[in-house]
This record gives sequence, structure tokens and C-alpha cells, in this order.
Amino acid sequence: MFALLLLSAIHFQGGVFRVSGWDAPAEPRSGWQSIFTVYAGSGSDVPPLLGVYSVDAGELVFRPRFPLSPGMHVRAVFRAPGESEIESSFDVPAGAIPTATTRVAQIYPTSNVLPANALKLYIYFSAPMQRGDSWTHVRLLRDDGSRVEYPFLELDQELWDRDHLRFTVLFDPGRIKRGLASRAEAGPALEPGHTYTLVVDRAWRDGRGAPLAAEFRKTFRVAPDDRVPPDPKTWRIAAPRSGTRDPLVLTFPKPLDYALLQHEIEIPGMHGVVSVAREEKEWRFVPETPWSAREYQVVIRTTLEDVAGNHINRPFDVDTFDPITKSVSTETVTLQVRPR
Amino acid sequence: MSFTNRCIRLAAAASCAAALTFAAAVNMPAGKVDLKSAGALAMGPDGILFVGDSVGGSIVALDVEDRTPSKSGAALEIKGINEKIAAMLGTAADQILIQDVVVNPISKNVYIAVSRGRGADAIPVILRAAPGGKLSEVALSNVKHQSVNLTDQPQQDRARMETITQLKYVDGKVLIAGLSNEEFLSSLRSIPFPFQAASKGAGIEIWHGSHGRFETQAPVRTFVPYEINGEKSILAAYTCTPLVRIPVSELKAGAKVKGTTIAELGNRNKPIDMIVYSKGGKHYILMANSSRGVMKLTADNLESYQPITKQTEVMGVPYETIASLKGVQHLDKYDDASALVLIGEGASLDLRTVPLP
Repeated sequence: MFALLLLSAIHFQGGVFRVSGWDAPAEPRSGWQSIFTVYAGSGSDVPPLLGVYSVDAGELVFRPRFPLSPGMHVRAVFRAPGESEIESSFDVPAGAIPTATTRVAQIYPTSNVLPANALKLYIYFSAPMQRGDSWTHVRLLRDDGSRVEYPFLELDQELWDRDHLRFTVLFDPGRIKRGLASRAEAGPALEPGHTYTLVVDRAWRDGRGAPLAAEFRKTFRVAPDDRVPPDPKTWRIAAPRSGTRDPLVLTFPKPLDYALLQHEIEIPGMHGVVSVAREEKEWRFVPETPWSAREYQVVIRTTLEDVAGNHINRPFDVDTFDPITKSVSTETVTLQVRPR
Repeated sequence: MSFTNRCIRLAAAASCAAALTFAAAVNMPAGKVDLKSAGALAMGPDGILFVGDSVGGSIVALDVEDRTPSKSGAALEIKGINEKIAAMLGTAADQILIQDVVVNPISKNVYIAVSRGRGADAIPVILRAAPGGKLSEVALSNVKHQSVNLTDQPQQDRARMETITQLKYVDGKVLIAGLSNEEFLSSLRSIPFPFQAASKGAGIEIWHGSHGRFETQAPVRTFVPYEINGEKSILAAYTCTPLVRIPVSELKAGAKVKGTTIAELGNRNKPIDMIVYSKGGKHYILMANSSRGVMKLTADNLESYQPITKQTEVMGVPYETIASLKGVQHLDKYDDASALVLIGEGASLDLRTVPLP
């Protein structure tokens, strides 16, 4: 027993911790953790690393619950009953420093003119990003370079897509809606006639931990508020030729929401590819199969918004004392088109 | 011996009755829970923990079998909790996110939703902090659970997602506030629990009237249940600043509900969590905000605030800012005398109980 203890050693290989030179008896009542504990990080007052113990070929083995992060320092402590403690430290290889290759791919709306009551921006990245401190990397500057204070709704939850390729930025609705204390106190975030620059700084880290390859700036001019709901009756439809897979093209008089345009307009019975062009004023649909000579329905859900959050059937803030001159009560609006 | 007979024989009949009502009566098969994320948390009756999984597009009810009442006078203090959790999970403190904390009012155990990693490949973990401060993982490999999807095919569309910002259990229903990453719409949902296969909790349209003139479908960011004159209500904070009262009886799928504005909290007030409590015979609301610290609002006579139907100035409820509570990221009620806060202004966060102000 004495000779065996002298040879006891802790090994860390393949992400697994192992005590050699000690014949593991039955698990003590207080659990294996009372004999063999692994601590991650450099803190002295930290709880043990989560993991599972087993005895493999007489050796006590500890498998961490999660693979240890690159660069982690770990400390393994083995206390055989009645014997002196053995402590070994290990460093997980740090791994290569990732190169800064991720970029802001696009910011929607793409137009360089936004209404003063613009509601949303979508920042698209070329690779998946990290979350958690996103608001520290986005700022809005006036044309004199001064910073606009709190223009956005800084939700802690951060509105990402599932792949962390797109970050949704909402302008603070409290400063857009008329008649609210926020707007009265701080004024609207965007003022008509002025120019602003949205800055996405380089320090924002991507999913690999690398900063962005470059800072991104989007400069835009601000037009007066837009409180007019989009009206499909004003849209132009370019009918495709029958027997072809030509695109069906809808043209709008003003930009609509890029993300919603991907799925809020459908042609029942047809599968195809949607694309959005001309500063979100054009919706194109290329069918998988050729058009027939029959009439097709273009179904638009009223949840489709313009860049100021006005829906097909109502403006962003409805004035309940002013009569609403145009009202659409159904949840979809349908346009007809017959291929040429 | 039947379960009922055992209950009658036991002195702790009350806790058995609760177990019969929920844990025993609800069909929660044991099995592996496949969370895609863990965000907002809520405690239901009888130690049932609700987890909002925004990425998975679902709400999961877990029977964490945590029904042993705590001894009175429990308190909690875990300094550097983010560093401790990171160490347990084998990573650096800047590679975890604490998404929410919630107190089990029976045991005073605290449940913590954690994201291990900050990228799209982050792994959700649920931890439990016992009153003594010991942290442990809530194993999800074989746990009694039930879940409900919030949409038909929640993960099919990789871009479109609804982030669950608040979750509460009120009177047999799970109320869920969420915000879409595409549409600016109210998506408060009310889903009866136990979950029924068909119920996705159709949205409730919540409108906001400001000064009686302008209405918008307004996303509710956070809310707290509150009883006013025997009527269960929720006090809800919109993404824009007003605080409103909505009777729970009106929260039915498909309903169009207009909240009664009871306070306008002004610019930059972004409520994160709210609790209601009584002290010295008076009722208060404690609200954690992202930039204005913790606010204490007088909640007496909330019933006297009438719905705004004509243009008028809103008389808001009085409030004060609690100077000693800076950097509160999450807030929950701990017991009648204290609140639980996740607090910290630098890189290090503490989880601790504080006396109710």
C-alpha cells in the first residue's frame, strides 16, 4: 500500500483526469469528490469542476461535464484517506489566436435616407457572433460627431437570430411614440434634416473570439416621420411570361422591412426563391416550376411593416381620436396577377 | 397503500395535497430535456420550474422535486457568482452569461439559467443555489418534464425568433412576454398549465394608450402578478416606459386588451424585473431597471387608476430610487422581508439577499 501511494500521480490526458498508482476501493460514502477534486480557473475560492467519476481498470477517473475551454488553468487535488495530499496543475493549450476576418456584411435598411421614426435596423455579419455585450459596440453619432444618448432599446436579451448572424436593433419606441414622457423628456433620437452615422466598432467579438476585421459605418440622412401604412394598391406588379420561370416582381413606392419581406408575401401553390432588391423597394420571386397561363394570387400578410413599423393595415401609432381613413380588417391582402 | 392514504396519515397533509394537485396529478414523464437555450425562469406551484427556451421556441416545465420547506430566516450570499459558475463549467467568467435567477418560495433554493458560451453554439445549463450558498447542476438527463412549443415549427426558420423576456405562473396559467426579432408586436401569451398538446397560447393583443391619444400594439417587456381588491392583475412594463395594470381575467388567447397606465417612468427607464411586497401595512413595487437603478413605487390604491379613455395627463404613482442598490441585473422576491438580487457593476457579480426597502 505504501509503495503504491508513493507512485500515485494525477494525469490529464484527452480531457480526462486520472489517478494512477492507487487502487480505487469502493466509493466512499461522501463520494469520490471527497478524495479527488478538480478546480478550474485561477480563483482560490471556487467550487469544484462539474463532472462524472468512474473507476476504469482500478484507476479513479474524472470526466469534466464540459470540455475545458482553451487556455484554462486547472488544479487537481487527490487526498487518499490518511495520506498526504497530492496536487497537480495543468494548463489546457491556449489554441491559435483566431484571425479577424468577420465583417459587417450589410445593415438594413440599405437606403441612406431613413424616416425620423425609423424603428429597426438589422446588422448582418459574415460569420456567427458572440452575444452578451453587443450594446457596447453599437453607437449613433450626429453629424458633428457627438453621440446620441440611448437611441436604442437596449434589451439585455439581445435580439439575435438562431445562428448569431443577424442582430436586430430597435430604436427606443418610447422616443418614437407620440405623447410619451420619454419623447417629451429626451426628444426623438433622430431629427429630420440631420445626418447620422451608425458605428459598429471593431471590438465586437465573433463566435471564435476574434474581433471584427474592420469598423463599419453607415451614414444616413433623416427625413420627416413616416406614419403612412404601406398600401399594396400602390404597388406595381410586373407579371412574368407564362411557360417561363421569369421572376414576378413587386415594386413598392418606399422601402419595406427586409426581414419580413422574406416571408410575409406568398404565392399559394408556388415554391420558389425570394430576393429583395433596390433598397428594399423591390420583391422578386423566381418559381421552381414555370408559370401557367392562369391567374395567381399574391398574398401579403398585414404583419408586413415598413421601416417605421407601420403595418399594412395601420400606422405604428394609431391616433384614436383622429379617424383612421384607411383600414384593412383582414389579416392578409391579396393581389392578382396573370402571367403574360 | 394508496398515495391518498399515505397523505392522510402524514402530518404534513398540506404539502401532500400540493403534491397531489401538481407533481402527482400532472402527467410529466421522466426523460431527457433537450433545451436549446435557457432564458427567463419562473417558479410554479409545488416546486415546478418553468424555463423559457427562446432558441428552441418552447417553454419547459421541470419537476425539480424541490418541495422541502426552508427553515425561516434563510439568507443567501454568493460573491463572484459568475466566476464560480464559470469554474464549475470549466470556462472563463467572460464566457458565461447568467440569463435569469428565480427563487423557489418553498425551499428558498435559487435557480439560475446560465449560458455556457456566448456564441450560437452556447450550451444552456440550469444551476441551483442552496440557502447555504452551495451550487449544483440541475440534471436534465432524466427529469420529469412537460413542454409546449410556442410556434408550429419553432426552429425551422433560423432567422425569425421570439425572445422570451419574462415568464410567470399565475392561477393555472403560464404568462409569457416575448419580443420578436422582426415584428414589433405584442406577444403576451397565456398558456394553461398542465400544457395541452394543442395549446400554443395564441397571442393577446396588448395596446398601449398614451395620454389617451395614440395606440400601438406594444410589446410587454416584464410584468409581475398583483392582486388588487381580490382581482388578480398583472403590472406590466412596456418596451416604451409606461407601467400598466391588466386584469388576469382579460388575458385570454385572441383577446384585445388595453392596459391601464398607472405610471410613466420616463426616459431611459428600462424595467428588467419587478416584485410586489408589503411593509408596515403598505404595498410597494420594487423594479430593477437597466439604467435607472432600483425604483420603489407605492402600490396602494392602484385600483383607483382608471383606464385612460380621453386625452388627459397621467397621474403617475409616486416612486423613489434606492441608492444602495446599483447594478442590479435581476431581482426576485426571496421572502416577506428580503429580495434576491444579482448585482454587480464591474466584471464580478454577486447573488445575494437584501432587506426589502
